[in-house]
Order: sequence, then structure tokens, then C-alpha cells
Amino acid sequence: MKKIIFLMLTVFTLLLMGCGGSKEEKPQAEEPNTSGKQVLNIACWPDIIDPELVSAFEKKYNCRVNYDVISNNEETLAKMQAGGAQYDMIQASDYMVEIMIKLKLIDKIDKSKMKHVHNMVPFLRKPAYDPNGEYSVPYDWGFTGIVYNKKYVKKVPTSWADLWDPDYRNRVILLNDSREVIGMALKKNGHSNNTTNKAEIDNAIADLKGLMPNVMAFDTDTIKQKVIAEEAWIGMMWSGDASFVRNENPDIGYVVPKEGGVIWADNMLIPTTSRNPKLAIAFIDFLFEPKNAAKNFEYIGYDQTNLDAMPFHTEEFRNDPVLKEARDNANKGEWLKDIDEAIVMYDRAWTELKSGM
Amino acid sequence: MPKTWRGHVLCAYAMAVLVFLYLPLVILAGYSFNSSRLNAVWSGFTTKWYVQLLHDRYVLDAFTNSLTIAIIATVVSTVLGTMAAMALHRYKFKSKNFIDGLLYLPILVPEIVMGLSMLVLFSQVQIPLGKITLIIAHITFCLSFVVITVHSRLETMEPELEYAAQDLYATPWQTFRYVTLPLAMPGIVAGALIAFTLSIDDFVISFFVAGPDSTTLPLYIYGLVKRGLSPEINALSTLMMVTTVALVVMAQIAQPAENKKEE
Amino acid sequence: MKDGRLLLAPAMGWLAFFFIVPMLIVVAVSFASRTPYGQVIFEWTLESYQRLLEPLYLRIFANTLWVSFLTTFLTILMGYPLAYYIVQLPKKWQQPGLILVMVPFWINFLIRSYAWVIVLRSQGLINSLLLKFGFIERPMQLLYNDAAVMVGMVYALLPFMVLPIYVALEGLDWRLLEAAYDLGASPFKAFRKITLPLSMSGIAEGTIMVFISSIGMFIVPDVMGGAKTVLIGNLIQNQFLSARDWPFGSALSIVLGILSLILIFLYYRAINGSKGGAQNA
Repeated sequence: MKKIIFLMLTVFTLLLMGCGGSKEEKPQAEEPNTSGKQVLNIACWPDIIDPELVSAFEKKYNCRVNYDVISNNEETLAKMQAGGAQYDMIQASDYMVEIMIKLKLIDKIDKSKMKHVHNMVPFLRKPAYDPNGEYSVPYDWGFTGIVYNKKYVKKVPTSWADLWDPDYRNRVILLNDSREVIGMALKKNGHSNNTTNKAEIDNAIADLKGLMPNVMAFDTDTIKQKVIAEEAWIGMMWSGDASFVRNENPDIGYVVPKEGGVIWADNMLIPTTSRNPKLAIAFIDFLFEPKNAAKNFEYIGYDQTNLDAMPFHTEEFRNDPVLKEARDNANKGEWLKDIDEAIVMYDRAWTELKSGM
Repeated sequence: MPKTWRGHVLCAYAMAVLVFLYLPLVILAGYSFNSSRLNAVWSGFTTKWYVQLLHDRYVLDAFTNSLTIAIIATVVSTVLGTMAAMALHRYKFKSKNFIDGLLYLPILVPEIVMGLSMLVLFSQVQIPLGKITLIIAHITFCLSFVVITVHSRLETMEPELEYAAQDLYATPWQTFRYVTLPLAMPGIVAGALIAFTLSIDDFVISFFVAGPDSTTLPLYIYGLVKRGLSPEINALSTLMMVTTVALVVMAQIAQPAENKKEE
Repeated sequence: MKDGRLLLAPAMGWLAFFFIVPMLIVVAVSFASRTPYGQVIFEWTLESYQRLLEPLYLRIFANTLWVSFLTTFLTILMGYPLAYYIVQLPKKWQQPGLILVMVPFWINFLIRSYAWVIVLRSQGLINSLLLKFGFIERPMQLLYNDAAVMVGMVYALLPFMVLPIYVALEGLDWRLLEAAYDLGASPFKAFRKITLPLSMSGIAEGTIMVFISSIGMFIVPDVMGGAKTVLIGNLIQNQFLSARDWPFGSALSIVLGILSLILIFLYYRAINGSKGGAQNA
């Protein structure tokens, strides 16, 4: 018994000493890799890169790609702020790019080293969240519009106000995101979804309280299942998801309402702590090679940002009614911007809405 | 217990609770044979998910990581926790209240706070994130559960047994080995089960302290949920369930016959 | 005494370094301020604690305590007979029985919760069966309400009640019961006077584990309740993620921790009081 204790204590002390000692050596040791191969650590949404492309890249550059899965922007940010991001490349949405730039968590990307990222969809070349297009490479994009099931929703919705129809009691689905939902109500009332005006927000919340009897659930992660299984009849949804849902259930329709809504984009970024930005740049460029990009997005189902890749896509992808609806109405979109301390006001309003006070 | 109507009611009630526990799992296993990629609607029978599972490097890696981490965390936290529980049981400490408080606190702290604060610690003392940090974190949150479970078992024991052993000139080690340990065993097993269960299914804390190349199964699954859970995960869960139950049953059948007499 | 310290040291040392040190950071953050971008700056303030006193947050606290209380009560109601049943099994089948209770909990929590969604949703198993046999005409809304949250909570936490009760019952001296029967006690009286008080330690441990875990729960209300209710767990989660208000999140966690400690303390006092009483009777 004593031996065990002694052993435990020794291990513990060694651990402690090991922890305390290394503080001076700032640059972290390279990842141990037995084969001498380069390693690229990336953190992206799940299923957002065709695994075959990752393998092809590993072969071409004789390297190993560690693909870690992240599920939302806020978790990535919290982790990076706490000092825990040891990634060479990460993915984040528009407004988060803005925050990460402000917090100096990501580096500028030398786009002159890339060949294939220059023919972007026009409104993504210098997007509001990265006005000079220096920090981010937009990867996919979409629009938050209205999804509905033609079996139950007889009249094609045209406005966010249609969600308030009493016929849809307990059948409306909303994203589980304060900015998206409050932003939707703001849009319905003709305001900007980036407002910091208290009266406008209070108004939006009052309207949303009126919507609550219709709301079946707030859901971002499994909203697709709820719509496909016809639990929800109508609600707000990202165009990429709606396209997926429509392929599974032909009764599904998608429209961009007349008031407009949120336009968004996911971006490839290089953290300031990246140990291998060169390889990260090569990887991004590889994904944007037109043929690769086409193959990739046929697999993902979200919409392309690379116009050069369009000719390589199937007719089906180019004419997908959901993606087309988003493309045709992109000018109605408003980017969500970071709203500094007003976020606390949004969060309070959101808590109020959900706890029914 | 006499086989009375009371016994039958108890049995029926226990079975009902088991049905409650297993009903969703039966559904889950059923959907592992569903040909649709989403768990939304039933669209036909297939075994392709099982085949795909065996070729999915990401899922298999995550599963191996989870299992390794859970086993190490369980062993270490059970040993440390049992030692602490025995100490608390046998000896009176002046600072007993403080020690009790310290043991309860890790259960009280919300997971996200624990995860983030550990991440801050790890990055301050520069322990690179990975399997090591995951194991450390898992041991930390399992430890208290083990101590509490084992300690509660020891408290229900009659101290006379240990005194009797000592009166018979047993050394402290013998007393421990032949009296205390066997008596504490159900508590230790229960503590280890709780530790394993907590570790294999932890998401929030793991998310923050995981680094490149140490994705665990829950981390992988949480990521996947966003794009739609693949029935591959159902297939994996079904396999896990069937294997565990089969192992338990086999271990029972394989036991020497003498134990059977107790029935 | 020296042996005792040696036995205790590894666990205590472990917790001191990997738990107490990080917690001190949390305490510090709870008194810090937040920059507009959500960074923590160490300008000391009590603001985060003052905000806690707003009725909105107090009500969430109260609501969470109520949900946790109900969860604990239901897990005892379901867990105690199950544990009792397992103890009655022949020795050889007890551990397999326990493992059977635990196996569902090795399947990922989210997967299990979504399995419940499949069972309960409007085209789900229960509604389909009820429709088929003509008990109802239209599917009932079984999900995304408080009852569904409760099902999810109980389902997630049941083993933490079953295990400690089993451990306590297993250590029980059954001769006491036989003696009681011999003396003509009714089964109910024997249970109330002997089994229950002697297994109280198990119920106490289980209660603490279940109660505390349910207080911090945030995924169940999201998955089973359609994210329409806010418990403290959700509130804390939001502060660290979407609101990026670490000081407020830390303050919430600390108050939650202290509150739980006080409850545990009171609970133990009550239990010990009643146990003493039972033994004297």
C-alpha cells in the first residue's frame, strides 16, 4: 500500500515540477511525429470537408491532417480566449471573424500565395466583417429564410409575420440563437438586425412573446430532423440546411421573406498561434482548386463561394431551388455584426423571452 | 424474501423501470438499420451503416480515445478515491469539514466553469492539450464521486469487524486486505462504475481541455449532431450495448459451479 | 494518523492543484469586469453579484431548484425499488443486474436523448400506438414541454440514485429484518422502522449526486424541452458563450456552488437528526 502511495506521490510531484518548470520556453515544442511528416491541425465544422479531399491533400503534401470537430463559434472563441487553441487553421462565421480580429486572435492571410481564392462571389470579396478581405477566406455562405411544409402551409409565406399565424400553434421552429431570433423580429418590424436601440429591441421581444404559443422549439443542431419528420410546419432556417431538408422531403419549400434577413458566411482563418501557416495556406488553396471545390460542395450541400468552380458543378446543384432563392435575394441580406456591450442586453432579453417573464 | 404478492409487485415495478431505461435504446438500435441518413423517418432496412462504421477512421479513433481515457481515469480515480475514503473512515482529521467541503465542491461546480478554468490552468502552466489533459480532467471530476460512494459504504459497515481482526493480532495490512477491502468492495465497484460512466460520456469539460488529435466519441458526436447524426453512431452504440451485455452474461455462465449453490 | 494523512494526500493534492487553483481563478474573474469585446479585465467590481439579485435571475434560480427537487424525488421513487429488487437477487446476479442498469448510460447522452425524441414526437412510437388503437384522434404533443424535460432529467440521473442505494442496502444486516418479522412486525412497519433508516445513507448520497447534477443540467432542457425553459445551467452556459460575460457567469457559478453547499449541509443535519431518532425508537 505504502509503495503505491509513494509512487502516486512521486508521479504527482514530477507532474507538478514538469508543469512549473517550462514556463520560460515560450515557443512550444513541435508536435511529436514519428514519421517526420508535417502535421496540419485544423478545427472545422463536422462534415464540412469531403474526407477524400483531405486524404488527397495528405498524399500530395506528404503530411498528416488532424481534423478536429467544432460545433459552434462561441465555444471556439471561449477556448481560444482561455489560451487553448493549438490549431493551424480554424473555421468561424462572419460576426465571429470580426470579434477575432478585434481580439487579435487571428492573423492576416497572405492571399498572394494563393492561386484559386480570387474569383469570389462579389459580395464576399470585401465583406462587412472583414472590410479589406485580409483576414478571412469565405468558404460557404447562405441566407436565413423561411422553411415551410406545403402539406400544412397552404399559402406560400412572404413575410416573417406569417410565422405569427394562429393556425401554426405549436408548429413553428426557430433557431436557438439570440441574435438570429431577435434579429428576425427586428427585421419584421423594419429595423436593422444589428440595432442597439433599446426601444426597438423591447418591441421585438414583446412581439416574440406573442409568438411563443406557436413556437414548438428553439433548435439549431437538430432542426433538420424536426422539419423532415414534419414535427414543425414552418420556421426559420439556413439555406444550406433547407436544401438538405428538401432533398429528404419533397414537400419542403424555402423562401426569403420580403423584409430580408440574415446573410452569413463561414470562413477559413489562421490563428495567431498557428505553427504551420504555410501549410494551412496551401490547404485552403487546395480546397479552392475549382475541380476540388466542386467535388467538395457537391458533397457538403451548402453553397460555393468560388465562382470558378461553378462550371464544374452538376446542373442539379446550380439550379437547386433553395440555393437559387438565396442567391437571387442575397441583396436583401444583412450581416450580423458584433455589437459590443449591447450583446449583454440581447442576452438578457433572450433570457426574459425564454423564461416567460 | 418470501415469494408473496409483494415480491411480485416489486418485480413488476423493477421490470417497468428497466423498460423505461431500455425503451429508447431499442428504438436507437432499430434505427441503426434505417436506410435514411437522418434519424427522421423510417425508409427501409439496411446493414450498410455497420459496414461503413468499420471503415470510418474518425469514429473508430474517437472511440478508441474515449475508451482509453475512461479506463485510465477510472482506475486512477478509483484507487485515489478509495484511499481517501478509507482515510476519512479510519482516522479523525481536525480539518474534517474542510476536507468534506473540498470533496463535494467538484460536484457542485458547473461543468463549463470547471472545463474553462482547467483550460486556463493548463495553458498557464503550459501542459499541451491532448490526451494527458483529458485524463487529468476526467480524474478530477470522477474523484469526488468515488470518494463519496466508497465512504458511504464504509459508514454502513460495522466497525466491530475491524476491531475484531485487530484483536486477533492482524496487522493493519491484513485487516485491510481480508476485512476492510472485501467489505468495501461493493462500494468500490459502484464508485468505479460511476467514474467510468461519467468519463465515457463527458462532453463539456472534455471540449475545453481536448487538443488536436484527441477527439473523444462525445466530442465527435456533438459535432456531428449539427450536420445530422449518422446511423453509424447508432450502429456503434448498438454494438457497444450488445457487447457489454453479452460479456456480462458470458462471465456469469463461465463462473465456477460452486457459486451457483447460493441460489 | 500518519497513515491516514498518507492515504488522503494523493487525492487531496490532486484536487488542490487541478481543482482549487482553477477555482480561485473563477473567484477572481467573478469580481472582475468585462470589456466591450468580452475580454476579462481585472478591475474589481461587485456588479456581477448585484445583477444576480434581479427578479429575472432569482426566478430562474427558484425554478431550477424546483426542477431539481422534483427530479430527485422521482429518481428516489423509481430507483429505490429497483435497487431493492437487485439486492434481493441471488448474489451471483447482483453485479450483472447493476451493470444492466448502468449500460444504457455508456451510450452517448445525446444519442439517448434523441432516442427519446423519436419515442415521444408526434409521429413517434407512443403517438402511433395510441392512434392505432383508437385511444386518441390526433397526435398529442408529448415533447418540448416541462413533462418531457422531467422525463429527460430522470432518465439521465437515475443510475446515480440506484447505485448508492444498492450499496447501502447490500450492507444491511438482514437478520434485523427477520428478527422484526419474528416479533410480529408487519412488512410495512419493518421497512419503515428498519430498512429505510438503515439505507438512509444511500438515499442521502444519491440525493446529493442527483440534486447537484440536475442543478447544473443544461442539455436536457434544450433537447427535450425545445430550449423553451432556462435553468441556471443554461444561463451560465450562455454567459460564457453567446453573451461573452465571463464575470457574470463566474458569479452565477459561485453563488450556485455556495447555495448547494448550504443545502447539503442542511440536508445532512436533517438526515442525521432523523436517523438518530429512528435508532432510539
